[in-house]
Amino acid sequence: MTYDDYLDGKTVVLTVATTGGVHGKEANPNVPEQPEEIAEDVRACVELGAAVAHVHARDEHGENDASRLQAVDDAIRDRCDDVVIQNTTGGQGSLEERIQGIRTDPPPEMASLDLGPFKRGRHIVTDHTRANVDALAREMADRGIKPELEVFNSGQLNEVYRLLEEGLVDEPAYVNLIFGGRSFTRPRPANLLALASDLPDGAEFNVLATGPHQLPMTTMGVLLGGHVRVGMEDNLFVERGVPAESNARLVERAVSVIEGLGCDLATPAEARRILGVDRA
Amino acid sequence: MPCPHLSYRRRDEERSFDHERPHCAAVGFVSPMRADVCNDRYGFDHATHCDVYRELAEAERAADD
Repeated sequence: MTYDDYLDGKTVVLTVATTGGVHGKEANPNVPEQPEEIAEDVRACVELGAAVAHVHARDEHGENDASRLQAVDDAIRDRCDDVVIQNTTGGQGSLEERIQGIRTDPPPEMASLDLGPFKRGRHIVTDHTRANVDALAREMADRGIKPELEVFNSGQLNEVYRLLEEGLVDEPAYVNLIFGGRSFTRPRPANLLALASDLPDGAEFNVLATGPHQLPMTTMGVLLGGHVRVGMEDNLFVERGVPAESNARLVERAVSVIEGLGCDLATPAEARRILGVDRA
Repeated sequence: MPCPHLSYRRRDEERSFDHERPHCAAVGFVSPMRADVCNDRYGFDHATHCDVYRELAEAERAADD
């Protein structure tokens, strides 16, 4: 988790987040929403070098619908020989909605685990208590699902330490450092340096940054020995004012940067080893 | 009860889609996250949580005064 790790040739795990839960085709018509669309995008991104697919599901209107995660996972498995599926348990839904992400059959190898609520608009605070976080962590452990610990802002790093201290998460912790506007950590290099240097011993970290911060902050993450997530969940543009034509375009650019920095991309098998994913 | 400004449409004056999407009469097609509020899902109440609804309601009250 340091520059020395980068210099030593650390292998980088590339995650693609094709869809997300925040925006859809109303924001960029190229965002995949239906299971077959999402699976086709994931296949293209895996061929380019992505090892992990972060998965959301939508209904026929493009609205969030965790009950369709099964259909999305099935479609991805139909198209990809090997990829680590990471279902979401995030968003602004109830615990009952969130927990559907870890009750697919078979369970996903990984799942996101939001570590707290966040504010939206002027009047919303999402309902996500420590009790919810712990319930999700326990069920992930029971089902052999590796959590990706979503650190939306710097205070939530305390929750990573708490989950480890309370035995709710196994080592190595896999921490997703998230940078952007509003409730996220401000996307500034100094903030990434501070968070990356304050992780639990042995932890692996990923960088997620929204919009125009995706490319610079993930590049910096690689230099600090971290992993990378890109895709249209987090960024709808390939450059200023130019909508991304596909998730593959964003993955292609990330691959170019990672390989240009002299790093190897992890295969799905290597990603499992690096992140501590136990394949059932 | 869903927001009275919400409908499901394939097109408006600016854009069209091949399926019906949530549309707000005040702001146009809305994001999936905003649509949760429009539909009062997950304990949301559009009259309490939607900034747009509140601003419109406030404007209507001011016009009535």
